[in-house]
Amino acid sequence: MAEFFRSFVNLISVLAIPLLIAVFFGWGFAKKVKVYEVFVEGAKDGFNTAVRIIPYLVAMLFAIGIFRASGAMDLLTSILSPVTGLIGMPSETLPMAMMRPLSGSGSLGIMTELMKVHGPDSFIGVLASTMYGSTETTFYVLAVYFGSVNVKNGRHALPAGLISDFFGMLGAVFICRILFVN
Amino acid sequence: MLNYVWISLIAVGILAAIGNDIKDEASNTYRNGQPILVKFEVRSAPTGSGTTWIGDFVISVEEFNHFYGLNMSGATIRQPVTLNVGSSGEGSFFFSTSDGTPARWKEMAKSASAKDKLTGKVQSLSSSENRKSAAAQIVFEPIRFVKIKAVTQAALDYANTAVEISLGLIGIMALWLGIMKIAEEAGLIKVLTKLLTPLTKKLFPDVPPDHPAIGAMIMNIAANMLGLSNAATPMGLKAMEELNKLNTKLGTATNAMCTFLVINTSGLTLIPATAIAVRAAAGSANPALIIGTSIIGAACATTAGLIAVKVLQRLPRFRKDLEVANG
Repeated sequence: MAEFFRSFVNLISVLAIPLLIAVFFGWGFAKKVKVYEVFVEGAKDGFNTAVRIIPYLVAMLFAIGIFRASGAMDLLTSILSPVTGLIGMPSETLPMAMMRPLSGSGSLGIMTELMKVHGPDSFIGVLASTMYGSTETTFYVLAVYFGSVNVKNGRHALPAGLISDFFGMLGAVFICRILFVN
Repeated sequence: MLNYVWISLIAVGILAAIGNDIKDEASNTYRNGQPILVKFEVRSAPTGSGTTWIGDFVISVEEFNHFYGLNMSGATIRQPVTLNVGSSGEGSFFFSTSDGTPARWKEMAKSASAKDKLTGKVQSLSSSENRKSAAAQIVFEPIRFVKIKAVTQAALDYANTAVEISLGLIGIMALWLGIMKIAEEAGLIKVLTKLLTPLTKKLFPDVPPDHPAIGAMIMNIAANMLGLSNAATPMGLKAMEELNKLNTKLGTATNAMCTFLVINTSGLTLIPATAIAVRAAAGSANPALIIGTSIIGAACATTAGLIAVKVLQRLPRFRKDLEVANG
């Protein structure tokens, strides 16, 4: 069942882009849109958007870089680890849960390390990979998306994003405990 | 909010780095000035009046652990090294770190005077009769301010990474923005938008149901679900641009923008491809096992995020940010 679902979604993922391009261009052509001119017109914005993001992403990544390199994560982990025991979350996965919203490459590294040490099919391995798949890198998404339209005041997007991450992590622990711990 | 989190990340980072370095200094984590006894296995001994020895430092894991107060496991440590020792038995050594180098030495090498290269003094070298091996007493160069140096390096490195990421987006941004423009002119986005109006009206009440932003958001969310992140980001940015056209106070996020971002940051994906690939590489018997659990985790994240964003946008604190624009 899971295997079937996986190959089905994989198939859609592989076909999606060529199909999308074919349908869009075909439809546009049929509707007498000047496809080449319109494409170039739209593509022109690509450069400006990418360049507009730079200062926002520099600000965000540099702060995250300082935080990661300082060893502050170990400190936070040792402060918070007594709490995680209460919800049945192994303290080894706490750095994973805290790194996930901050840094994609950082949490990827932690996940890989946890699997190397505990094995990918251990409870910790399964939980770490579920956590990785359960949410996105909130700070990165915020910097890129808001940066692209020069939004500096993100209002409630960050708190809501962090609440979402928190519950994503809780959900991951909860479902993994139900399925993989007797 | 972002202001506070941003400054906290930096402040906590710098304070933690200073704290860690003080702790390292107090407990002499890197054993500055303390000699360690290692075996030196000679590969090439100096001839004539030369002083260059090439070979390996060999030390058992137990001795290494004892010296640095660690509990590492693994095979005997063997580190290729070059010595510069005259007939007196005193001199210096240096080595560049490689894959086989123990983690502690790698860590030390990162903040050594020459990056990724550790040097030190040889206090005594007594070689055996056949000059095949020797007992060496060595002291590493003093290693200090490891975290502070790491923080400085990270700040510079990450600033570079940010630019690389942004510039790396130019090509695919241009491609997808071009494709989207065709779809828009052909009226395709409108068709897509109509189909999902009942849902989008609930999620984005401030956005007119036939607005181009809705189409771009739908395509972004669909691409995200299929794990097509290369297509999702340009579509998402296009959506932001459209949403910004409805913005009455430029520079401040609208309710619709926040809702859209929360959907994006909770990352609802049908196939968590990266996690599956890492599991497969680590030798999992069933790498795809986590598809189901991840979907449930992401569903929790999305639900909680949507509730949070709808509740928070009612708070006076966040409403005030918008009102100034109207007044």
